[in-house]
Amino acid sequence: MSPQLIVGIILAGVTVGILSSLFGVGGGILMVPFMVLALEKGQHISEGTSLLVILPTAVIGVLVHRKHDFVSFRHAGFLALGGIGGGYLGAELALNLPAETLQTTFGVLVAIVGVRTVTRGARQMRAGASLGSGESHAPPPDDGP
Amino acid sequence: MLMQRGLHRGGQRPNEKHEILPPVLIGALAGVASGLLGVGGGIVMVPLLTIFVGFNQHRAHATSLAAIVPIAAAGATRFAIGGSIDYGLGALLALGALGGAPIGARLMARSGEALLKIMFGILMILVSVELLWP
Repeated sequence: MSPQLIVGIILAGVTVGILSSLFGVGGGILMVPFMVLALEKGQHISEGTSLLVILPTAVIGVLVHRKHDFVSFRHAGFLALGGIGGGYLGAELALNLPAETLQTTFGVLVAIVGVRTVTRGARQMRAGASLGSGESHAPPPDDGP
Repeated sequence: MLMQRGLHRGGQRPNEKHEILPPVLIGALAGVASGLLGVGGGIVMVPLLTIFVGFNQHRAHATSLAAIVPIAAAGATRFAIGGSIDYGLGALLALGALGGAPIGARLMARSGEALLKIMFGILMILVSVELLWP
């Protein structure tokens, strides 16, 4: 491995770490394509390695978030309970279901909710600005999603 | 101002629901999506936590991340048993990621609710593009 490549991989890791704790996601969406496309690793190895990296990264992110009292460990426990069970179910279903149709359906759903999230955020931001506070931390006018 | 911040980003949470079933179902949906499609986790849990559990954006992101720890541990164990982990590459990525995680967490704490919502929505749209144009 060349020194440049090593630095490149570490920098990709930094990006993953920032995205992960900023957005509450694992970062697999970035790491897996990075490993498959840029490093030419297999899909399976990339997914396994990505999960391993997520583990300590998420722990550090949670520790910082906890200081701000952002974390509900009670809810996280129930999410994980469902998540671990669902993971096994999903892996089983993957063998029997048409993956392409599912991916398209899921993609459309994510797009719709994404647009809805952006518009709600923009509405909150305008409402905050119209209060004349000029304060980016101004509380939202409604607590809807 | 500090009181207001506390009200919406920590402290009292008047809109949050405490039933057990919604987070279990949301987790299951995220697990199925990730098992089926290789994506899931946060991109599924965060919006559903805001819609069905009444979380604000900050709380949804942080709680989703906490749930990802045991979910990723279960997944990584499965791959480790199968021998599908590149530990050297993982160590390099983790080296960077461990440096980036506190930066991202502080960025989140400093972002207002509306800005965070817009950024997450854009992330979702980017993910949907990746899903729809493989």
